[in-house]
Amino acid sequence: MATTTAARPAPAPRRPTYVNRRQVRRNTLLGWTFILPNFAGFALLTLVPVVATFGLAFTRWNAFGTPEFTGLTNLQRLVGDENFRVALGNTVYYTVGHVPLTMAASLGLALALNRKIRGLAFFRTAAFFPYITSIVAVAVVWNMLYNPTRGPINQLLTTIGISDPPGWTSDPTWAMPAVILTGVWKDMGYYMILFLAGLQTIPPELYEAAKTDGANAWQRFRNVTLPCLRPTTFFVLIMLTIGSFKVFDLIVVMTNGGPGRSTLVLSQLIYREGIVNGQFGYSSAVALALFVLVLVITLLQYARNQRLEK
Amino acid sequence: MTTVVGPRTGTTAPVPAGTPAPDRRRAHAVRPWAKPLSYVLLTALSALLLVPFAWMVSSSLKTNDQVFTVPVQWVPRELHWENFVDIWTRVPMLTYLRNTTFLATVITVLQLFTGSFAAYGFSKIRFPGRDGLFLAYIATIAVPWQAYMIPQYILMQKAGLVNTFTALILLQAFSAFGVFLMRQYYMSVPDELVEAARIDGLSEFGIYRRIMLPLSVPALASLGLLTFVNTWNDFMGPFIYLTSNDLWTVQLGLRQFVGQFDAEYAMIMTGSVLSVLPILVVFLLGQRYFIQGIATSGLKG
Amino acid sequence: MKRRILQGLAAATAGALLLGACSSGGGDAAAAAETLDPDAPVTLTVSVWNLEGTPEFRALFDAYEAAHPNVTIEPVDILADDYPTKLTAMMAGGDTTDVLTMKSVMDYSKFATAGQLADVTDVVEGVPDLAGLDAYDQDGAYYAVPYRQDFWVTFYNKGIFDAVGEEYPSSDLTWDEYVDLAETITEKAAAAGVTPAEGSTTYGTHTHTWRSVVDAIAAAQTGGDQLGSEGYGFLEPYYEHALQLQDAGATLDYSTASTQKISYRTMFTTGQAAMLPMGTWFISALLQAEAAGETDVEWGIAPMPQEKATDEAVTFGAPTAFAVNKNAENVAAARDFAAFAAGEEGARAVAAIGVVPALQSDAITEAYFALEGMPTDEVSQAAFQPGEIVLEMPVGPTTAQVEQILTEEHQNIMTGAVPLDEALATMAERVENEVG
Repeated sequence: MATTTAARPAPAPRRPTYVNRRQVRRNTLLGWTFILPNFAGFALLTLVPVVATFGLAFTRWNAFGTPEFTGLTNLQRLVGDENFRVALGNTVYYTVGHVPLTMAASLGLALALNRKIRGLAFFRTAAFFPYITSIVAVAVVWNMLYNPTRGPINQLLTTIGISDPPGWTSDPTWAMPAVILTGVWKDMGYYMILFLAGLQTIPPELYEAAKTDGANAWQRFRNVTLPCLRPTTFFVLIMLTIGSFKVFDLIVVMTNGGPGRSTLVLSQLIYREGIVNGQFGYSSAVALALFVLVLVITLLQYARNQRLEK
Repeated sequence: MTTVVGPRTGTTAPVPAGTPAPDRRRAHAVRPWAKPLSYVLLTALSALLLVPFAWMVSSSLKTNDQVFTVPVQWVPRELHWENFVDIWTRVPMLTYLRNTTFLATVITVLQLFTGSFAAYGFSKIRFPGRDGLFLAYIATIAVPWQAYMIPQYILMQKAGLVNTFTALILLQAFSAFGVFLMRQYYMSVPDELVEAARIDGLSEFGIYRRIMLPLSVPALASLGLLTFVNTWNDFMGPFIYLTSNDLWTVQLGLRQFVGQFDAEYAMIMTGSVLSVLPILVVFLLGQRYFIQGIATSGLKG
Repeated sequence: MKRRILQGLAAATAGALLLGACSSGGGDAAAAAETLDPDAPVTLTVSVWNLEGTPEFRALFDAYEAAHPNVTIEPVDILADDYPTKLTAMMAGGDTTDVLTMKSVMDYSKFATAGQLADVTDVVEGVPDLAGLDAYDQDGAYYAVPYRQDFWVTFYNKGIFDAVGEEYPSSDLTWDEYVDLAETITEKAAAAGVTPAEGSTTYGTHTHTWRSVVDAIAAAQTGGDQLGSEGYGFLEPYYEHALQLQDAGATLDYSTASTQKISYRTMFTTGQAAMLPMGTWFISALLQAEAAGETDVEWGIAPMPQEKATDEAVTFGAPTAFAVNKNAENVAAARDFAAFAAGEEGARAVAAIGVVPALQSDAITEAYFALEGMPTDEVSQAAFQPGEIVLEMPVGPTTAQVEQILTEEHQNIMTGAVPLDEALATMAERVENEVG
């Protein structure tokens, strides 16, 4: 395993020798050759508009005509904007709840469905189904389960003696937990797929060796599965974090940000300020803020991962 | 059922206190009830996961006025199978399916190729600026599409690509997601293996083709599967870029049943059920590659 | 220094964006100069939403093509839900579609103030008696011509009224009477076992989840300003009525209706609601459903309930209009089409399928009530000719932001999350602090 045994090539020295420089040039050329087919498309169609969007964050623009440079006005407005503050808080709330729960649930599913059992294909398909079920159906059925008076969840809670069960999606306090729960339910099959692929990289010999050494199931999980799975875990963690910060569709159909602003998230704010209100400069500023926030978190996770890999 | 969840005690073999459970007999002893239990749990969980789909199927067999009712009617009073016949004539469903299949296939293939290719460069070749570039890739994922949708549209319009499949293919075939996924997978392939191949005189392309690709079948399967599903179910991209009705995808076509003030939800659910079927086939094909040893077997041979 | 870099970056971006956005400018001068050759073949492109589900477009196109054989209309079909999003993207990219249908007055205002629409003031002046025209007035100039004007009435289900032995709503119903009536019907229906289907309830009325159901009618009838220039006290009695209906169980509660995406149409056509305040577009939907054999509900319309009994009912409504794209390829034909759609012939074409045209005349009203399945009683006739139709939401640069705040507080009030007086105070406070 690269993570455990590989002696990584030393990092390129600051002042390369003549031979090294040739090597570096050769590698750079080779590296870019591999990267280019994807990078060309990516740079032109994603990077350019994204950079343009960041530029727009310092302008006033209604999507038509010339953007008018306004300096830091949009960012100043951001600081004092109550909607931004609320949306930021809600987005962080959603992420903090959604990431660890989805991580645990999807890894659990992947482990449970990585064995040779009868009906494996069926169970895997069932686990993936929430992700491909029409989001309208998901919203309607979950909202039905959450219904404060008629819903089975609250009927159950009342039966077991909770006299004042929460109003879930109709209650500002409980709407976010309800949406998080549905989000976990919907996304876990998706990330399960990624974990399943990652689990296949672990050589069965390692498990055999661990068994011979007398490791129990938990120890094998701790000492073989988790370390070998680290590249996948890192990937899932990053994608899940970014995905949670960008959550949009689920919120729109479940609560549309309500009741009040209790589930309003940043992506929604970006959409409203831009497409609905026609203030693309300001909406770009919100996007920029979201980007910087996610970037910092990603860098922290990246640095931690680099440290662990060494 | 709660009684069996506790710690695994009461096995036949007496285990000295304080030692880690070493013997295989214990594992065998656990099995008789563990297996049926896991089936019961998995079946219960599956039922929970399939409830909204059941609602979709039930709604697809109703009339529009019966879809949203309080309380929910799980079994329609009368089954309107004709919905599954009518939908083909109400909208050009066949065209939509064909368009979606075309788009999803082309995008998936391109994504698999360019993604795995770039991932090799990002994971197995060292050159200055590599990691910075990689971070830039990941970072752009963090910008919501709603934010740069309009600038991107203007770009496409200028290039004359609006209202063509090319626009969507270009837009979705080069995502950073695929590069990231494949790169992480390649990271778990030992560098020694690549070094050894280099010493044996294999070119970098040779290593990519002969070693990395065969080793990464599960990753390719998961990337292909997820890309296919995401493309298949995408709404906003096709909505913004495809204007002519004969270019529309299934997700777009079904939204035609949403009017200005009202929607035909029975038809939408009928279409949604139909639209899930191809994904199901792709999933069943793809998930077969998640089998223990499939990736590492290459190392031995 | 930092400022200069930012400025440079912004300018570069702006330049890039502009290249496409403004390259093609037909302009109004060209429009005026261009004359319409009645024989030259023209392909006119018109942006519409949900072509198959919105028969008025087909009706108008057919009528226009019949009158102008040289013109072929090519609809640009856009999904209803996200119509404004797509239109914004298209316009930003410098699209050349000739005629743009303005789905809401708010969208119109956005495009008109951004200079994306051609001036059609002379077209508007050529068509007398257009209802809802004021909404399109931009400092004395018009950039769109309304062809349709919807307004709100109270629909009622005759079958339920008959079953519980109540008289049909009169033409001078007050809000208090309306609330009483809804409660009475709910009780009587429950007592008499009048239910549409097993397990479901017959409610006296259905208060749909839209904010306008409370806010817009309150503003129309009290003269209150929804943009909040004088606070939101005027909403209080209207919210009290809405909450009272909900608390008494005389309407499906807001939480359920909104989270379950309950359709008002289902509530009404399946007999789950005896009354339904709704826009006149529902008339054409009902007529179509009847013609297709999808419903056999016996219905009538009455004016919206009023504060005090009056013959001159005040209600609210919103027009729909055609605008000419500034970058249109066929400016003259586009203007001619807009004039046709708003005029007598266009009005007849849409009235024939139960849609209320913007053009008001006795002949058209008569044609409208002659439609198959249309209730013809006096109260229905009175409902169709209200004393005053106030624009649903005043249009200004802050409209979209205020609308969002009112929607959020509407949820808070109707779900019972925040007490009414507190929510109304918050509304005023937020509009004051956040909008600008």
